[in-house]
Amino acid sequence: MAEQGIWSGTISFSLVAIPVQLVRAIEPGRVSFRMLHSKDYSPLQRRMFCPEEEKIIPSEEIIRGYEIAPNKHILVTEEELESVSPERSRTIEISEFIDLNEVDPIYFGHPYYLVPSKGGEKAYRLLVEVMNRTNKAGIAKFVLDEREYFVTLKSAKGVLELITLHYYDEIIPDKDILPKEKEIDVDDKNRIKKHIKKMMADFDSEKYADRRRKKIMAILKKKLKEKKLVEAPATEEEEGETEDLVALLKKSMRPTRKKSSKGTKKKK
Amino acid sequence: MSRRIVEIKGKRLSLSNLEKDLYPSYGFTKAHILDYYRRISKFILPHLKDRALTLKRYPEGVNEEYFFEKRCPSHKPEWVKTAILRLEEGEKMTACLVNNLETLIWVANLASLELHVPLARVDSPDVPDSMVFDLDPGDKANILHCASVSLILRDILQKLRLKSYIKTSGKKGLHVYVPLNSKGITFKDTKKFSKAVAGMMQKEYPDLVTSKMAKEYRKGKVFINWAQNDSKKTMICVYSLRAVKKPTVSFPLSWKELERLAKRGDPEKFHIIYSEAIKRVKKNGDLFKDMLTKKQRLPHL
Repeated sequence: MAEQGIWSGTISFSLVAIPVQLVRAIEPGRVSFRMLHSKDYSPLQRRMFCPEEEKIIPSEEIIRGYEIAPNKHILVTEEELESVSPERSRTIEISEFIDLNEVDPIYFGHPYYLVPSKGGEKAYRLLVEVMNRTNKAGIAKFVLDEREYFVTLKSAKGVLELITLHYYDEIIPDKDILPKEKEIDVDDKNRIKKHIKKMMADFDSEKYADRRRKKIMAILKKKLKEKKLVEAPATEEEEGETEDLVALLKKSMRPTRKKSSKGTKKKK
Repeated sequence: MSRRIVEIKGKRLSLSNLEKDLYPSYGFTKAHILDYYRRISKFILPHLKDRALTLKRYPEGVNEEYFFEKRCPSHKPEWVKTAILRLEEGEKMTACLVNNLETLIWVANLASLELHVPLARVDSPDVPDSMVFDLDPGDKANILHCASVSLILRDILQKLRLKSYIKTSGKKGLHVYVPLNSKGITFKDTKKFSKAVAGMMQKEYPDLVTSKMAKEYRKGKVFINWAQNDSKKTMICVYSLRAVKKPTVSFPLSWKELERLAKRGDPEKFHIIYSEAIKRVKKNGDLFKDMLTKKQRLPHL
């Protein structure tokens, strides 16, 4: 089954425009669990809680604040946020081509695939091929969900990958966290070099697997086999005689108290 | 907990706590609520169809805690139609589509007294099929102030060659709708347009209107909430019950009746109770049906 597109639009640079769809490249491998109520196994939900009033707060009473000190906030309205969000755009405009080797992997964010939409197949193939040959990657700006991303487009085995890049400001400078340098001994240096050389291998990502995930999946499989399942209280009972809705409602309805309650005197 | 099983169009559905009084000052029970939605179904369903429902559930009745539910409850019957909505960061969410009587009854049985829906349908979530002006009275203002504002708004829209329609919110306010049903219009367009109109009205009628969200500006005035024109926002669906003391309904009015009510000057008279709602739709049909079909385009301001 084809992955549903997250976004559709066009890649453009100079005079080329290629209709494409953005699809996920990563299926997170983390095993996630639902939180259940231990008493009846109902799935639980998160709520916003006001500790002051000890009450659950509905979304319409929730606003945003930027914390400047404990209990001190600057209010920010939706209007203000709206005013700074980028224009919605349906294009990925390549502004430059670069050598991807020059990009420190620390900049790489989230990867996606770009696949050609109808009518764009030929131009897409051509771009993938040429980018592959020249070993160049495109740099572009791209708007998704009201946020502007800085991305790189690279060609890999016949497909275009789009990788979001972190902004320069987001990267913590390494000089802030490194201890002060000391003189390095030449012998030490050579020794480490030798060690590294001995351990050289080709990168083979299939060699590594998430062992914790594997073990959890094994536990789950075993429990499934043993039919160790719990069920939330059923809302739809399959057994039992059915009744007619109209007849049942008629039977269940008592007269309302519209006349007796104050302030709601019947008005004709 | 008492459960009864009914069959609606071949679909089995278990109903719970039919005797539970969810509008305690009125003696309006779960059974009354289901019966109301059953009887209004022909009129409300076209307006709910293919819209991602937000449930607003009052499990212990209108005086107790409630909660919104945007995700379709996971314990839904398998015949409930759903749509997958995309959230930020590629995350997905399943929402209920109330496209038939059995789903409407199921949702009402969850004590979702209020049915909230977006202004767009799921297959084109960025294309609103109508534009809304949500007229909300601030402190010391009431629905009569809203009525005055709505009439001014109607005339402005008329000058812009836009036909508008009005319904009560079922609470304190009024909702003015402009059907669009035209491809290519985005929420950005409707928001910009409604904001401009609201801003203009604030300038012309500073004692009556504000287009500012902050509570302190709203005292004694009507807040025109243009920001409802957003893909992430929902409005109370026409014909939905409201969770106030009495089982009132968000109900459409003709402009003629609104003028009459405005002249009469009694805020109470604006409230349409469930029984009145049933009576009226039987007599007049769906005053909001143009919302489903009428095509209009926004002029440049």
